[in-house]
Amino acid sequence: MLQLFIAYQPLIDLFLLHSGLALAQYLVLRAGVFSVANAGLTAIGAYLAAGLTLKAGWPPALTMVLGAVAGMLVSMLLSLPLARLRGVYQAIATLAFVQVVLSLNVYSESLTGGAMGMNGIPKVVSTWTLLIALAGTLYIVWAINQTRLGRAFDAIRQDETVAASLGTSVRYYQTVAFALSGGIAGFYGGLEAFHSYSIEPSRFGFEFVVAILSYVVLGGRRSIWGPVVGTAVLLALPELARPLAEYRTLVYGLIMVLVMGYLPRGVYDTFVEYLYRRRIARMDRAAMAQSQGDAP
Amino acid sequence: MSTLVLDQVSKHFGGVVAAEKVSMQIPPGRITGLIGPNGAGKSTIVNLITGMMSLTAGTIRLGDRDLTTTSPHEISRAGLARTFQNIRLFKEAPAIDNVMGGFHRHEDSSLLASILALPSARAETRRIRARAAELLERFNMTRYASFPAGGLAYGHQRRVEFMRALASQPNVLLLDEPVAGMNDVEANEMGVIFKQLAAEGMAVLLIEHNMRFVTRLCEYVYVLDGGRLIAEGEPKKVIADPAVIAAYLGT
Repeated sequence: MLQLFIAYQPLIDLFLLHSGLALAQYLVLRAGVFSVANAGLTAIGAYLAAGLTLKAGWPPALTMVLGAVAGMLVSMLLSLPLARLRGVYQAIATLAFVQVVLSLNVYSESLTGGAMGMNGIPKVVSTWTLLIALAGTLYIVWAINQTRLGRAFDAIRQDETVAASLGTSVRYYQTVAFALSGGIAGFYGGLEAFHSYSIEPSRFGFEFVVAILSYVVLGGRRSIWGPVVGTAVLLALPELARPLAEYRTLVYGLIMVLVMGYLPRGVYDTFVEYLYRRRIARMDRAAMAQSQGDAP
Repeated sequence: MSTLVLDQVSKHFGGVVAAEKVSMQIPPGRITGLIGPNGAGKSTIVNLITGMMSLTAGTIRLGDRDLTTTSPHEISRAGLARTFQNIRLFKEAPAIDNVMGGFHRHEDSSLLASILALPSARAETRRIRARAAELLERFNMTRYASFPAGGLAYGHQRRVEFMRALASQPNVLLLDEPVAGMNDVEANEMGVIFKQLAAEGMAVLLIEHNMRFVTRLCEYVYVLDGGRLIAEGEPKKVIADPAVIAAYLGT
């Protein structure tokens, strides 16, 4: 058992990290913001945390928190112009933001190490740290769903006009969702930096955006377990189909096409929906039987 | 309780006149009717009042508060609620969640309490769920509480939307064809409820096609045609007005 764990530890760590990032992405999508800015915010968190520890000698625990704060502040700034955009235009604008962050990291060599990135970052983040971080993230995302925030996010995602007519400030709630998501993304940037010895700009580019987005699309966008299940499936797949490892991206693409075509709600949400419909049908039948029993 | 006042309200889309110098009063404790043929601009009036469209000219006030340029969510917070002519529910969500959405105006748990699901925020959720369940019970809809709203029968969807508007405990209720698609018995049931609400002191604006329904419920009626008011007054007198007959039946 222990040996199995050690053999798969890198994969488990990757799963924990990416699940957290997928949950951050889920949070903005839930509030109806089609933002992919998280890759850039994660990069900011990673660079800030690693930089302050390497160059100023600040303790990692502190710099990781600062990374989260930075992610939150930058996303709040970003939400100002973003509030004027909708749907696919938000995606385009935030993708541009990711490219801007990437370029800045490449060109400000004296600060970020340029294309070579930062090396020799102490590895202070263990599997346990990641596990605790993910548990914390899951709690926050779960908590939001239990309270007025979750209700407001749901309302805005489903119909902005109606949400506003019920007194929901679309701008306020989308900024809150974006800031929370940015904070989580920034924090996971720090975790990633202190987990992998080195970071370089290209790691937080377009591929990162696509990977995180596919976890959420594959898993589902309603239940909080959707992104986690999506991450697990997409990370486990290359392991289960070793012979196909060479065609990994091909298999990835194929799965995404199939899921979007046939299970547009995502694997996990489709499953939950199926159970829900069955329960409803059963309740309906029971109510029918009762009303017929009542009749003389 | 204060009166909703429209003063010389106009809305132009380019050269198209959707509303021209419309002045209305919707006082508390009364059902005010707004009728007119298709395309007369009735829904435009509701959209202007609720801030979903901006006015070209004129002012809208609730009591002494000017709502002319206020944003939709603040207008809702000032105590206005509406239903939509083409029902707009959160279709994926269960009926009870739709009704819970209406309570948003009265939610006051802090941001931090909501992010961390502190006891105060969870108690608020429980309280609101219980009150939504009460509303469903009152409208005989308990059976459908956990059904997805989009899958309900048309009349039931209307009811859910009405409950959602009612949940916000508004001072002014704007009903855009609230009984369209209901049969006479169902419509009359709703009519009784509207009368109760007005008797409790709510200002109700009823937009309707069904003349009989309007005459029975409203104490005062405005008639709109081509974006202009062509008549107003007691329903019986208004229906007899030659201009109104011409607008409805043609000359």
